[in-house]
Amino acid sequence: MEGSSNQPLSTKERYKEGVLNYRDMGFWRPDYDPADTDILAVFRITPQDGVDPIEAAAAVAGESSTATWTVVWTDRLTAYDKYRGKAYHVEQVPGTQDQWFAYIAYDLDLFEPGSITNVTASIIGNVFGFKPLKGLRLEDMRFPVAYVKTFNGPATGIVVERERLDKFGRPLLGATVKPKLGLSGRNYGRVVYEALKGGLDFTKDDENINSQPFMHWRDRFLYCMEAVNKAEAATGEVKGTYLNVTAPDIEQMYERAEFAKELGSPIVMVDLVVGYTGIQSLANWCRRNNMILHLHRAGHSTYTRQKTHGVSFRVIVKWMRLIGVDHIHAGTVVGKLEGDPMTTAGYYDVCREEHNPRNLEKGLFFDQDWASLNRTFPVASGGIHAGQMHQLLHYLGEDTILQFGGGTIGHPMGIEAGATANRVALEAMILARNEGRDTWNEGPEILREAAKWCTPLQKALDTWGDVTFDYASTDSPDYVTTPTTA
Amino acid sequence: MADDFDPQRPSRRPRNQGPGGGEQPGAPGDQAQQPAEPAPSPAPDTVDLNAEWQNAGVQQVLDELDRELIGLQPVKRRIRETAALLLVERARTRMGLTHETPTLHMSFTGNPGTGKTTVAMRMADLLHRLGYLRRGHVVNVSRDDLVGQYIGHTAPKTKEVVKKAMGGVLFIDEAYNLYRPENERDYGHECIEILLQVMENHRDDLVVILAGYTGAMAKFFQSNPGFRSRIAHHIDFPDFQDDELLEIAKLMLGEQHYQLTEAGEQALKDYIAKRRAQPHFANARSVRNALDRARLRQAMRLFETAEGPLDAAALSTIDAPDIYASRVFKGGLDSDHASSEDDGQPAG
Amino acid sequence: MRLTQGTFSFLPDLSDDQIYRQVQYCIDNGWAVSLEYTDDPHPRNTYWEMWNRPMFDNPDAQALIEELKEARAQLATYYIRVVAFDNSHGWEAPRLSFIAHRPAEEPGFRLERTETEKRRQQYTLQPYASAHPPGQRYR
Repeated sequence: MEGSSNQPLSTKERYKEGVLNYRDMGFWRPDYDPADTDILAVFRITPQDGVDPIEAAAAVAGESSTATWTVVWTDRLTAYDKYRGKAYHVEQVPGTQDQWFAYIAYDLDLFEPGSITNVTASIIGNVFGFKPLKGLRLEDMRFPVAYVKTFNGPATGIVVERERLDKFGRPLLGATVKPKLGLSGRNYGRVVYEALKGGLDFTKDDENINSQPFMHWRDRFLYCMEAVNKAEAATGEVKGTYLNVTAPDIEQMYERAEFAKELGSPIVMVDLVVGYTGIQSLANWCRRNNMILHLHRAGHSTYTRQKTHGVSFRVIVKWMRLIGVDHIHAGTVVGKLEGDPMTTAGYYDVCREEHNPRNLEKGLFFDQDWASLNRTFPVASGGIHAGQMHQLLHYLGEDTILQFGGGTIGHPMGIEAGATANRVALEAMILARNEGRDTWNEGPEILREAAKWCTPLQKALDTWGDVTFDYASTDSPDYVTTPTTA
Repeated sequence: MADDFDPQRPSRRPRNQGPGGGEQPGAPGDQAQQPAEPAPSPAPDTVDLNAEWQNAGVQQVLDELDRELIGLQPVKRRIRETAALLLVERARTRMGLTHETPTLHMSFTGNPGTGKTTVAMRMADLLHRLGYLRRGHVVNVSRDDLVGQYIGHTAPKTKEVVKKAMGGVLFIDEAYNLYRPENERDYGHECIEILLQVMENHRDDLVVILAGYTGAMAKFFQSNPGFRSRIAHHIDFPDFQDDELLEIAKLMLGEQHYQLTEAGEQALKDYIAKRRAQPHFANARSVRNALDRARLRQAMRLFETAEGPLDAAALSTIDAPDIYASRVFKGGLDSDHASSEDDGQPAG
Repeated sequence: MRLTQGTFSFLPDLSDDQIYRQVQYCIDNGWAVSLEYTDDPHPRNTYWEMWNRPMFDNPDAQALIEELKEARAQLATYYIRVVAFDNSHGWEAPRLSFIAHRPAEEPGFRLERTETEKRRQQYTLQPYASAHPPGQRYR
């Protein structure tokens, strides 16, 4: 990289009044070896024409830590070297002319313990509006064990949730009640009852079901719990419905969550749009009250989807696991919403592994040790149906929650039949996989075999068998060894 | 689509399948019912036995046996015959000429240290490759593992062992110990009854090999005709010849990167001849024990005599004095080793 | 009513062959398999009776099938499930659990409602069969 020298300036030069290059202010440190306790971040930077990428990286490091646009003497009242963000590596993004990956290390003491809100205020604060950059995207972060341990993580996690529900060895099944808006409490509960009785483990409020004129939240909760209890009696299985407690303010969220708990619901849900502080408050409440917390990622695509600007969803997943959500929507690969297979696999790994090894093909830029934090259930939701069961199992594995909304409620024989079709398809596929069958290739045949004795499944295959959503992904990995998408 | 991708990465081990490839049914449950029968396919009109022999990996097992065990020609011949018989049997099953699982239980008779355990392991491997055993592991037990100390103790013990052996070989060493006619209240008979039942009803699930001294086993079969009728293959293990034992000794030393001097080799020859005449002679096992002791003495000799730095050759050479110092040359077994006859480990 | 606890309750009852293959899958994964039984199938009845200790060392599933045959013979009117336990770190929990035997008749559950304040209901679930003492609940 051309530009000014890599040699540090003398202290006198460095603190002369005026404006200096960021790299000369000490934010470019190519010789820096990140400490085990540093928080690391990698950004994709697209500098304005003529801006040196190293200077741009140093600027990002500066603006996301201690710097301002000019030299300030008050720096010298601090142990400034410790507090400066340090850009330590810059490399061009494969296959691009104008984009670079900038690796930056931050000292642990820059952040309040246990606060994603504080992390984000620094890392994705002012810096994203910085003029010399056309675009800036936070691709990945590495949280040191020392910082991970300041979070509680998911209160329940995959294992304990399975134990509590007494459901093992298969993905959990859910459905989002449809239509999203307009159902009265009484009608809403009907959908819940039919779907649970038919074989689903969960139903779910949609993200924008809060407390509208057509259905007060209290009404929804009461009818839903009637439906849940009736379905438990009809099947002898533990059932649940995610009651959305998202509300205009935190006090009302607590009120709704308390009510859900009093009614005996094992789970509540909240939307990503309530913000990091709101989610963490609710996660703490769930930990105190033995409740499972389901997170709907409403709004994330506004900043996660475009490759050149925003925040990668994998970073959001890391933040959410630290904050402590038990479920998070993480993509389906095959459904209607954005999701490259390898990139999605990266999200799932972040949710479910105890240790993520660096894997560039999956978009994981760093080793991440989760220090025994509970695992988060990834949820696959949006445009999926029973006919894709083998693909879903192949891509997403066993520890996931498959949400078939339209794929349950839109079934021609009714909601209960729709639920049964999904459950039969799932159990048949798990049985076959465990027997050693090649479900990827024999999947359709396995489903047809089961459909011979299960009419609802036959109808589901007849109705949706050919529905696919094949569009190019906008958020695919930059490091590709093999083609990963259809 | 990339087929190999799975975010879950379940830790599924490869299925336990012989290298016979298409010969083995993919799903083990099929084998659970009829291990000798392959996945459903039309009955063949002809069979190429040589190809089957190769494909099933029979030759591989026999080669391995040759590498592992010196001599033992009669035993190896019996195994070759057994393999041939089972291969033909398998072909006959496929052609629909027979439907019964052949009886595969065996008895291995002979003195200690004649390779019975090793052969049992190779036999299990062979039976697995031929599709007669689902897993091919060996569970090696003796009376104490099967027979309990009080009423109600024996049946669960025996059943536990049988369950462990499912899909493999149950190798019962010194099996004649199961039967103790001199003690009326012995629980051995309970174990024997269960074993007889298992040998009859679970021919698809496991193979029982009863092993022990030739004479004792003959007596055992005489008093327990049930066993005699359920055992199809008797294999007698002769003692090793002196020169065979010497070969075995060199093999053992080679594995540990030791060698014998010429005088040392002569000493070992003398040792083997003398040791054979003594009680508790256990063939290869006695040789192994003798070598262990020789290494001890060699180490002490090096300490006591070395006057400067020693090279690798000195550290790995066993000489005549290391062997001639044995008690065997001073008129017999020493008292501190007498107790070792309990575990069949005779003194050197 | 058909109790739908366990992984394969929506499929036709599994044959011993099918059970064998599932159990072998578990064993090949290094999980310990065992049998549990109950005549109180309340969904929150976690602790079914243990028929045997988990099998930690048996490489072949036939061992469990033999146990299952014995259990069925003695417990025809009970629910019997296969449980596969994974002791690896981060799990230390069952990984698969499915019903391998169920009573011929399954009368189901009674849902009792108790009115409380503000239109709220208190729900209680009772297996019809649990009105009888243990051992006399199913035919």
